[in-house]
Amino acid sequence: MSVGTLVRRFFLVEMAQGMWITLKNHFRPHITMEYPRERPALAPRFRGVPRLRRDPGTAEELCVGCLLCEQICPDDCISIVVDKRPGGKGKMAKSFIIDYERCCFCGLCVDPCPTTPITAIYMSHDYELSDYSRQEFITQREALVDGHPLKRYAK
Amino acid sequence: MDSRLLIENVVIPAIKVAVVLGVMSGAVAYTTLLERKVLGFIQLRLAPRRVGFHGILQPIADGIKLLLKEDIIPDQADRVLFILAPVISIIPAFAALAVIPFAGRSFSVMGYEITPWITDVNIGILYILSISSLGVYGIMLGGWASNSKYPLLGSLRSAAQMVSYEVPLGLAIIGPLLLAGTASMTGIVRAQETQGMWFFFPQIVALFCYFISGVAETNRIPFDLPEAEAELVAGYFTEYSGMKFAFFYLAEYTNMIVVSSIATTLFFGGWLRPFPNVQALSFLNFLDFINPALSGVFWFAFKVFMFLYLYIWIRGTFPRYRYDQLMNLGWKWLLPLSLANVVVTAFILALRHG
Ligand code: SF4
Ligand code: SF4
Repeated sequence: MSVGTLVRRFFLVEMAQGMWITLKNHFRPHITMEYPRERPALAPRFRGVPRLRRDPGTAEELCVGCLLCEQICPDDCISIVVDKRPGGKGKMAKSFIIDYERCCFCGLCVDPCPTTPITAIYMSHDYELSDYSRQEFITQREALVDGHPLKRYAK
Repeated sequence: MDSRLLIENVVIPAIKVAVVLGVMSGAVAYTTLLERKVLGFIQLRLAPRRVGFHGILQPIADGIKLLLKEDIIPDQADRVLFILAPVISIIPAFAALAVIPFAGRSFSVMGYEITPWITDVNIGILYILSISSLGVYGIMLGGWASNSKYPLLGSLRSAAQMVSYEVPLGLAIIGPLLLAGTASMTGIVRAQETQGMWFFFPQIVALFCYFISGVAETNRIPFDLPEAEAELVAGYFTEYSGMKFAFFYLAEYTNMIVVSSIATTLFFGGWLRPFPNVQALSFLNFLDFINPALSGVFWFAFKVFMFLYLYIWIRGTFPRYRYDQLMNLGWKWLLPLSLANVVVTAFILALRHG
């Protein structure tokens, strides 16, 4: 053992260095995000729960009931019943259910969706999904299109 | 019996005990908050902030939570000892506070002279040493009575650790005692006043040994082997919950305060302001205009606070020692060091007076 190491050991230099680092940490800004009050900024391609949307121009439901999303979903969480579109040509989903409890947020359902100009199903930015019963996660078309009432945890 | 005698000997001590108990319980509760806050700052976190302004009511919320929790006693546990253990560990912790002088000058209320310490026995420091070493029984009994392997291992470790570190702790205390020439807690502080220096200057080695042994005695990180979370779940209080758990917790923090108070009294001049004999600095006793005892209490509390902060700072910095490293440090380093300190101090004193 060299003299230098001996001196460093005897006067606890390393320990003092450690204490100095933790002392400096007192004055560094915290990295905690106080979650319900502050929210993280989401990237545009963030994948929250899948949702349905309307045509931005005509406000009509975009989904044409092609069942592609139901077939591609790896978790089988979409189930659709198709019906004639009332007073128009084509079809629409009479009932459209996504079971959020099974959804893995993979986003595969969005890729095959054939509607224009935007896909009928899309990955929304909602991610606060806790609830009191499993029943609550089976989301119907009405809630999917016009917005699932998100629970606000913040005051 | 004369009513004045009755008040002086029964009522006033009872009130003082009540005040010390109350203030200390509050101090212990807020030490836990301080610990969480400081650890938070060290780890770049925010620490409790939800209950009250910046978490100021968090200890109260914790207390209520612990009171309302289910109190589990394991089936195979020794019921009597299991219930008794937390009590055994908390009573010595609080009893040690009886001889700690919180301020120097007594004050009078309604014609009665009140001293700012509960009692001042002439063997104060010995009393503290003997009382506080009883605390280990609580830990050992708690670990044994749980009838579970982790608590038992934790309490065995604790026993070994306490016994090992009691030795350098006791030897480190001898240095200041030699300088002061008395074992009374107030006498030690008064000796520092007459000699015009805190004993921390000539006894820095003793302070070093004392403080490290004190950290080990209170089972704090980096010497928290008896409750090493990673190895022993929670050590000796694994099986405890609710209020009994809180008692162990309280005992640990009270012991921290006791160790800090002793360090303050022995090495940092207790209630004295910095440089007690330099008249120019007398403005430091800025609470004197209310009552001289109050500025004594202020300086005492300030120094104890500094020690507690150091405790927590150390906890936030160092990892836990391995068991053999712990024993090495105690027996091979601290014991010879404190022993040498005693010899050198005695030698110098003998030269000076002889
Ligand atoms: S995101 Fe994935 S799992 Fe969820 S509904 Fe779409 S395809 Fe199914
Ligand atoms: S893929 Fe699009 S259009 Fe087809 S059923 Fe699903 S949401 Fe409707």
